Amino acid sequence: MARLTIDNLRKAFAGTVAVDDFSLDVADGELVCLLGPSGSGKSTVLRMIGGFEQPSSGAIRIDGQDVTRLSPERRPTGMVFQSHALWSHMNVFNNIAFGLKLRRLSRAEIRDKVEHALELVGLAGYGTRQTFQLSGGQQQRVALARSLVLEPKILLLDEPFASLDQHLRERLREEVRDIQQRLGITTLFVTHGQDEALAMADRIVVLRNGQCEQADAPDVVYRNPQTQFVAGFIGQMNFISASVEGGRFLHPDFMLPVNVPDGPAVLAVRPEALDLASAQADQGAIVLRSTDFGSHIMVDLQLRDGTRLKAMTAPDQRWQKRASVHLNVGQFALYRDNHLLTIGQPVGGSEQAPEVEPALSV
Amino acid sequence: MGRGLKGLLLIAIPVFLVGWLIIYPIFAAILSTLFFDGPEGLRFSTASYQFFISDPYSRANLALTLWTTGMCAVLLLIVGLPIALYLRFSTNRFADLVQSLAIFPMFVPSIILSYALIRTIGPNGTVDILLNAVGLPKIKSPYLTPWGPVIGLVWDHLPLTVLMLTAGLGSISNSAIEAARDVGAGPLRVFWHIILPRMGNSILVTVSFTILGIFSAFTLPYVLGPASPEMMGPFMLRTFNALYDPLNAKTQAVISFAFCLFFGIFYVWSIARNQKGQSR
Ligand SMILES: Nc1ncnc2c1ncn2[C@@H]1O[C@H](COP(=O)(O)OP(=O)(O)OP(=O)(O)O)[C@@H](O)[C@H]1O
Ligand SMILES: [Mg+2]
Repeated sequence: MARLTIDNLRKAFAGTVAVDDFSLDVADGELVCLLGPSGSGKSTVLRMIGGFEQPSSGAIRIDGQDVTRLSPERRPTGMVFQSHALWSHMNVFNNIAFGLKLRRLSRAEIRDKVEHALELVGLAGYGTRQTFQLSGGQQQRVALARSLVLEPKILLLDEPFASLDQHLRERLREEVRDIQQRLGITTLFVTHGQDEALAMADRIVVLRNGQCEQADAPDVVYRNPQTQFVAGFIGQMNFISASVEGGRFLHPDFMLPVNVPDGPAVLAVRPEALDLASAQADQGAIVLRSTDFGSHIMVDLQLRDGTRLKAMTAPDQRWQKRASVHLNVGQFALYRDNHLLTIGQPVGGSEQAPEVEPALSV
Repeated sequence: MGRGLKGLLLIAIPVFLVGWLIIYPIFAAILSTLFFDGPEGLRFSTASYQFFISDPYSRANLALTLWTTGMCAVLLLIVGLPIALYLRFSTNRFADLVQSLAIFPMFVPSIILSYALIRTIGPNGTVDILLNAVGLPKIKSPYLTPWGPVIGLVWDHLPLTVLMLTAGLGSISNSAIEAARDVGAGPLRVFWHIILPRMGNSILVTVSFTILGIFSAFTLPYVLGPASPEMMGPFMLRTFNALYDPLNAKTQAVISFAFCLFFGIFYVWSIARNQKGQSR
């Protein structure tokens, strides 16, 4: 029913380009998370879709209809703001009913719809409360109900739970996901919390400096990050800089056969893809610290060139501080100038642990 | 104990000054218009008030003052609100210019303002000269009519009005307004349903301040206003200075004071009521 198409969207403010050549297709009923560091242009994208910001160029279409130049009140979008968006001179009922009143619905109809919306967000019976009598989480639920009651084609959420505590945030995001699935409403969700994105999204769009770095399903973004930035932004990642020569990634502490052209490169390995093996003193990496998390142990390591790494090991393995260890690299990715060169297991067998050779001094 | 004493000392001087320079003269003035030394001791009489009420000229002056005050308050809101809205919501650099222009009258002494107004909209002023140059008839000058002081007072009070209204608008968050647009309210409806209801207090404060200021205005009505009827300010001065009639001047002052007090009490009452409504 509701499909959102964004073509080459661009927004330049006086000094900066906030969004640059951003394109995205959101399918009906899909929940897409816009993820990125502060200032990456997430809110600007959302505000352009909602009509609160005019794009410098590009087009926004909803179900094929071009809405790029429409004012917010004429768009079939509903937005939930980060905070302070309830009207404090109206009670909860009137906050939700306002949009319906503007549409000249009958009183009975308005009452039914508002009550239904309140039920949907778990606030049945709260209609007569004043907005200041609500907790932060309840206020955001009212804001959500206020948008949902108008049955928008596209729901836009700009960090709606950012001002709430971790616990409440987790609960609310599950509720939102639930409601979204039940109503099948096409949704764009802005966040800079990666776990929020990983937990909720059908698809994650990673933004950086106003440009799309990658748009994929959460597991793809996690396992197959297309750029070094995405690799570092989502989940924990170790980066090791060195150079590739003659089909080998050469680092003073270890080497790895790779099938890419020569040149500088950055190796990216998740902590869970690093295996440790004891080494003779003065060889390999040095253990700085190991932290027991119960289900696993996180080992902080330092390579001889100063690079810090994290490795996740089984809870039965104990590593002494200052012990020397060899690194066994599992799944890895190799980047050059932020772009992916190759991704995969070390060449030469996927079952057995890859062989790690001592450094070659060239 | 020592701190309590220090606290009392801190407010002692202002309290003393208020008592000595404001409260005492007020009561002295009120009493001196009601009690008189007669041959058989102190005598109570409301004669001067009866005179004021029965005198058509005094009544006309009071009516003119009320009319001017009301007209100014309405005009100030009509002129000030759009400026304040513009200052609150515009994002371009032009807004700074508008802001400084709106604040500028605050730094112009009213006497200079009066003469400037006479030279522009007075008889054969700049406007007349310009009209004449293009062959149009002269304007009907507001100088020496009731509209003269109204124009001057509105100009004079505009900065304060704009400042107070802008402060009131500042309490309305951008998201609250954007949320209203999002659910389908156009600019007019946003103003009517979202902005105005939240502006109640600051409009009240603004109106009260202008009413209190304008009711007892002197310079602008004196220079720009008609000779008869005249506003209470010039009227009092003339009664006292030219007619050597301190009793009636005091009576006029007490009556003006009563009106201002009424507005003042109304203001305090509505603020208190609003605060009660908003507190949890
Ligand atoms: N109204 C504006 N005027 C000028 N620059 C702006 C404006 N709004 C945003 N920007 C700039 O555009 C860039 C993107 O801002 P945006 O608010 O979209 O970031 P964001 O990804 O939402 O960040 P955050 O996670 O902190 O909310 C920033 O560099 C910001 O300074
Ligand atoms: Mg933002």
